[in-house]
Amino acid sequence: MKFVWTTALLFATSLLIQAQVLTSHEVTLSFFSDAPLEDISAESKAGVSALDLHSKSIYFKVAIRSFEFRKSLMQEHFNENYMESHQYPHAEFKGQLTSEIDFSTAGTYPASVEGELTIHNVTKSYQVSGELQVTKEEIAIQATFPVKLVDHEIKIPRLLIKNIAEVVEVSVAAKYQTNSE
Amino acid sequence: MKPIFFLLLTCICSTALVAQDELSSLFNDSEAEQKRLPVIATFKSPWIINGQSNETIHKNDLLFVVKHRFGDLAGSNGGVKTFFGLDNSTDILIGFDYGLSDQWSIGLGRAKGAPNGISTHQRQLFYVNSKYRLIQQTFGDQVPVSVSLFGNAVVSTMEKTDLATSDASFQKFGDRMSYVAQAIITRKFSDKLSLALSPTYVRRNYVSFHDMNNLFALGIGSRMKFSRRMALVVDYVFSFRSQESQDYFLEQQEFKFYNPLGIGLEIETGGHVFNLSFTNSTAILENQFIPGTSSSWADGEFRWGFSITRTFTLKD
Repeated sequence: MKFVWTTALLFATSLLIQAQVLTSHEVTLSFFSDAPLEDISAESKAGVSALDLHSKSIYFKVAIRSFEFRKSLMQEHFNENYMESHQYPHAEFKGQLTSEIDFSTAGTYPASVEGELTIHNVTKSYQVSGELQVTKEEIAIQATFPVKLVDHEIKIPRLLIKNIAEVVEVSVAAKYQTNSE
Repeated sequence: MKPIFFLLLTCICSTALVAQDELSSLFNDSEAEQKRLPVIATFKSPWIINGQSNETIHKNDLLFVVKHRFGDLAGSNGGVKTFFGLDNSTDILIGFDYGLSDQWSIGLGRAKGAPNGISTHQRQLFYVNSKYRLIQQTFGDQVPVSVSLFGNAVVSTMEKTDLATSDASFQKFGDRMSYVAQAIITRKFSDKLSLALSPTYVRRNYVSFHDMNNLFALGIGSRMKFSRRMALVVDYVFSFRSQESQDYFLEQQEFKFYNPLGIGLEIETGGHVFNLSFTNSTAILENQFIPGTSSSWADGEFRWGFSITRTFTLKD
């Protein structure tokens, strides 16, 4: 009988630790390219994310194909010529929150994250500052940071240099429900 | 005892998961999702060279298209005296295609018409067409091929001729009409190689003596990408003309039919696709080049042709 109790306790503890990991399907990712000839923007609401409150590690993943453009021809070129999404279908971020945050107290915290971003199969280290908001029901985070296309070996033909910015502004926002029960 | 053991195992596993800090493993199912996505850009434009590809126009996009076929590059009508055919134009097409949805596009336009002068005589062609994407190939091969259906109707607006055996000696309005119905079956084998197979039916209401009102044909086509923006494209049409009809034209008119073969270079630059191609067929519309091609690659009777398209996005 004692053994059963121990097991049950162990199980409960592990559940508790599990509860420290929040997952979210409410992730919006967008980017904006500001070039002399045209502004290009795209958005995906199909991202996923996980946040470990205990270790403060954070994870994002999005399918390249899920980005939607105003012009569908642009979307095709984005996938076929630039991101080569048939070969590299996802973009991924694995990071660590470096600022002090009290997840149990409601409030808005400045948050900085250090981590590795993989786009187009090229991984690069990033340091991103954003904002983290704790409320009773959820934790919301958002950040905007620049991504240099050459850093991820995304090539722009010379002919289109005036149409596509060399540095695009990437925005990310995610909401994690804390009272999932 | 067994369930307890199992329970314990679960605990260990779940703690291990967190300890490992592998948050990414929570989302492994997204790989399967990726495999269900439709394959895009099997071909880069709605046609390969002469024949249609499976591609349609994106929703609310308007495609303006100009196609041109010059004169014979070599042979008796080519060479330096016609500047390798550039002095002449056998056929010119100007048209518009519009995407009603991402699956369905319609088009209209006009072609000069390039009859061979023996079995076909119709010129001044107006056309309407429609293409519908029936099936799309998926990455994971749950659907191994894409299938699109294409159809057109062409009317010749030329004045009727007096030669009774000609297909331009129209008796009634219906005689001016011809139609094409086609299924385009394609597969993108890799990002470098796409193939197309197109069973085709050509209906011409009025044809020359011993020509065929109903003609079946099989088109094959391919796109081989060799750089990020350049691809080699090839297409060919076998037309199933009856032996009797072939013999008649050969014996009575000393006239031989050839199957159209196009070879070209496709260059993509943003909103433009340049298609730089060589083909033995003089005509641009299926209704003419499938039943009426009479020029031969072997005799130098091939020509430079190009297509220029520009896409306008009408609604965001």
